[in-house]
Amino acid sequence: MLQFSAIPSWDALHPLIIHFPIALLLIAPIFIVVGAVLTPAKGRSYLIAAMVLLLVGTASIFVAVETGEAAGKLAERTPGVARVLETHESLAERTQAVFSVLSVIFLALLTVPWLLKASDTRLTTTILPLAFLVLYSAGALLLVNTAHNGGRLVHEFGVRAMVTSAPSDANAALPMETPDRD
Amino acid sequence: MKKSAYSALVLTLALIALPNVAMAATKTLDNLQAGFNGESNAHARYLAFAEKADQESYGEVASLFRAAAKAEEVHAANHAVVIKKMGGTPQAKIETPVVNSTKENLEAALKGESYERDTMYPEFLRQARDEGNRDAVQTFNLAKMAESEHAKLYSEAVNNLAKLKGSRAKDYFVCTVCGNTTSKLDFSKCPACFTSKEKFEKVS
Repeated sequence: MLQFSAIPSWDALHPLIIHFPIALLLIAPIFIVVGAVLTPAKGRSYLIAAMVLLLVGTASIFVAVETGEAAGKLAERTPGVARVLETHESLAERTQAVFSVLSVIFLALLTVPWLLKASDTRLTTTILPLAFLVLYSAGALLLVNTAHNGGRLVHEFGVRAMVTSAPSDANAALPMETPDRD
Repeated sequence: MKKSAYSALVLTLALIALPNVAMAATKTLDNLQAGFNGESNAHARYLAFAEKADQESYGEVASLFRAAAKAEEVHAANHAVVIKKMGGTPQAKIETPVVNSTKENLEAALKGESYERDTMYPEFLRQARDEGNRDAVQTFNLAKMAESEHAKLYSEAVNNLAKLKGSRAKDYFVCTVCGNTTSKLDFSKCPACFTSKEKFEKVS
């Protein structure tokens, strides 16, 4: 019989949610490049797809930050864990701010010509999107760095989210103290 | 026959499992009660120690004791919330604090915080994790982090006690959510619970 797991608690959602911004926001620039390379008429739909990816990805950063803070309260700290967690949290906040700005810029880039009823030109569908990608690279670097520090917490320091609330033998298999790699 | 054998098996398993589950739930509740009692007593003890430090002209140490007392009050309140959530009633037996010289009081406080950091809370956390009680894990974990900071601050005070004679009151900042205690607000969010630094309370 098909069995469904219980709905995870807010903090336990973090390991699931974090993959959304990473995937969506690293795929979005590919759509921008394709949209910029094609003719204005053909490229527009790719740019709109990129915008949707960017907006959904940015929204998922907000959820990732909130669930991450909830999960962080359950994480036992050694000096090494505390340092990486602080970096991870700080980078996540910066990533959130940068992608919020990038979303507004890209939204304006696509909607302003449409609101002005101006026809698509190489400037609006190629030059400006490619210039936008230069700004985007800063956000992508921050995102990757944030993800890397999150990965270090899990894979280097053994920090785990409490995925289940039920009494479980799984916890017994975890290290009681997270190893300190200082 | 087959049905009755099956029922007997289920009943046997239930009889084995139920006391274990009940015992596990009681254990974390007991730990929370022990934590609540310990934190409530520490709150009263540190306030008495602060008064003594003031009398002996250790203004900075008195401020530290008052800040730690505030933090212990936060921990007790956090433990109490979880106790109530689990259907219990928070109970503390406040003992009359034994107050000695400020040096001895600092050493006693350091010993108490070190015990909580190294022995008591790690064991409580292990138990709460085994039971999958995330509320208990959170309150124990936040308390453990703050106790680590207290131990550091007490240790520094013990090592510099001679210099602190005649010192004035010093500003400490206590997170009203987790009890994290610091003398410098050089962050935007509490490093332990990510609460905005605006929610820190100044204690001096």
